[in-house]
Amino acid sequence: MISIRDVVTKENIKRKNTIDGVTQAIFMASAILSASFIVLIIVFIAFKGLSPFLLNYEGYNFQQGTVDLDPVNPISFLTGSQWLGGTLGLSSDYGIGFAIINTLIVVFLAIMLSVPVSVFTALFIAKVAPKRLANVMRTVVELLASIPSIIYGVFGLGIITQFVVFVAGFFDYQTAAGLSLLSTVIVLSIMILPTITAVSETSIRSVDKTIIDGSLALGASDIQTYMKVVLTAAKSGIFAGIILGVGRALGEATAVALVSGNLFAGIQLNPLGTTATLTSRMLLGIKDTTGIDYDIRFSIGLVLMAVIVITNLSLNFVMKRLGGIHEQ
Amino acid sequence: MDAIFELKNINLYYGQTQAIKGIDMTIERNKVTAFIGPSGCGKSTFIRILNRMNDLIPECKIDGNIEFEGQNAYAKDYDVIELRTKVGMVFQKPNPFPMSIYDNIAYGPRCQGVKNKAQLDEIVEQSLRRSALWDEVKDRMKESAMGLSGGQQQRLCIARTIAMEPEVILMDEPTSALDPIATQKIEDLIVELKELYTIVIVTHNMQQAARISDNTAFFMLGELIEFGATDKLFATPQNPKTEEYITGRFG
Ligand SMILES: Nc1ncnc2c1ncn2[C@@H]1O[C@H](COP(=O)(O)OP(=O)(O)O)[C@@H](O)[C@H]1O
Ligand SMILES: [Mg+2]
Repeated sequence: MISIRDVVTKENIKRKNTIDGVTQAIFMASAILSASFIVLIIVFIAFKGLSPFLLNYEGYNFQQGTVDLDPVNPISFLTGSQWLGGTLGLSSDYGIGFAIINTLIVVFLAIMLSVPVSVFTALFIAKVAPKRLANVMRTVVELLASIPSIIYGVFGLGIITQFVVFVAGFFDYQTAAGLSLLSTVIVLSIMILPTITAVSETSIRSVDKTIIDGSLALGASDIQTYMKVVLTAAKSGIFAGIILGVGRALGEATAVALVSGNLFAGIQLNPLGTTATLTSRMLLGIKDTTGIDYDIRFSIGLVLMAVIVITNLSLNFVMKRLGGIHEQ
Repeated sequence: MDAIFELKNINLYYGQTQAIKGIDMTIERNKVTAFIGPSGCGKSTFIRILNRMNDLIPECKIDGNIEFEGQNAYAKDYDVIELRTKVGMVFQKPNPFPMSIYDNIAYGPRCQGVKNKAQLDEIVEQSLRRSALWDEVKDRMKESAMGLSGGQQQRLCIARTIAMEPEVILMDEPTSALDPIATQKIEDLIVELKELYTIVIVTHNMQQAARISDNTAFFMLGELIEFGATDKLFATPQNPKTEEYITGRFG
């Protein structure tokens, strides 16, 4: 029999240390690689996205032919209520202020629609449904979360827009084939439903059973216990789910582009009217892969990233203020 | 003797396993009744029969006759919510809700539909005074209950129960998670509360049972071995098993 002391030799320890060192170097290299990709992407987008504000591009318009365009004015870009004003052809008159607002409206409405449904579904799966049904539903939710957004998009285009046309019929309203704020909100809220549900469900399920017993022992009903104690205890998890949902909704391009109608100007408050989000403005109408109309998409990308970061930070701030005080 | 609970021939099963075996017991009003016995002997199971917390365990079956204030507490038309508002419970591990101190106490009354702010304020103050917590928390009612010490949390849970003006307070090893000083405070509190409420307490600590209880029940393997006045049970146990246990030769 070999004793463990025969194995723990100076030589073996040295070899082990060498392997450790090499492994560590591999970890480090991987980390540097992925970090440098992020830096590379940001630098590339910033470089492309800032060019329209700094350079003179060549434009072509139907009245004057090829013209020299002034750089885009960053202020009117950020606050403008019109994508391209006046000219037929290329100009530097890009504005996306309206799209920023429309994006926030769309996401806000989608969240308002999605959160109650998600949270009640999560509560049902975690606490009410019998074990087997709960397992089935949990799997369904996971599957829904993994459906690619193009599928939600064509579903929206095929079904939801038709539904909107049908609804608009009652008001004698002529929609753009159902492409509308309402369709966009519905499609987005369906898309973020599984994300919010899954995260909320995990957090509802992990609520300490002893406080549930505590509530029931005080004569609270099951429903009172779920609504007042369980949801309160799971608040920060549910909020984390909402933040993920907001992130997904803000960044969603494909499905939104298919059903929004990609409005050119103005803030849309009419649910049956078309709308435009930053992503749909970014994605739709690309004709060339050079020139101002191409590079300006990167500028929108920069704005979108800023909107996502700012929204995320403010939601995190709100979450800390609202939910954090009862964490142990 | 004024009985508040009258239990006859209670058998309880978890699936196939019998956890309570043919127990009869009468619990006296405005007295402290202690349950002692080795761990796993069914003390928690038995105390949970009194407020029907075992209803929550799907595979749990119970038979026998359980009368609370002269009424069958397990009758079809007896409302379990009414029972639980009259028979409150304090658990082994302090379990405050993740809410403010005020909301913790107001929770039970609110669940029964009390909305009036002045009325709630009064309930909260009175409950906290009765559980000897008022002076420590009166300036921080809006703060989270999670920020209190373990002993304070447990007294908050007692206050939360008191807010329902129950007849009975059940306590399942309420001090086992607490340090000696916090334990002392809870014991003092129990002695005070006994004027107003009937108290049933599970304890693994025999000195505690001897100090605070009027009657003691000794359980073993799901059976009630001996039940009677605490001083008599500890001074002159009738059953040799009881004697073995309280003299520490067992468990
Ligand atoms: N939910 C349950 N399901 C199945 N068996 C249980 C359950 N709770 C308790 N038991 C069993 O019933 C017996 C009594 O447990 P318990 O009442 O918790 O004892 P004690 O409180 O005296 O320690 C033990 O054997 C325990 O394993
Ligand atoms: Mg126990």
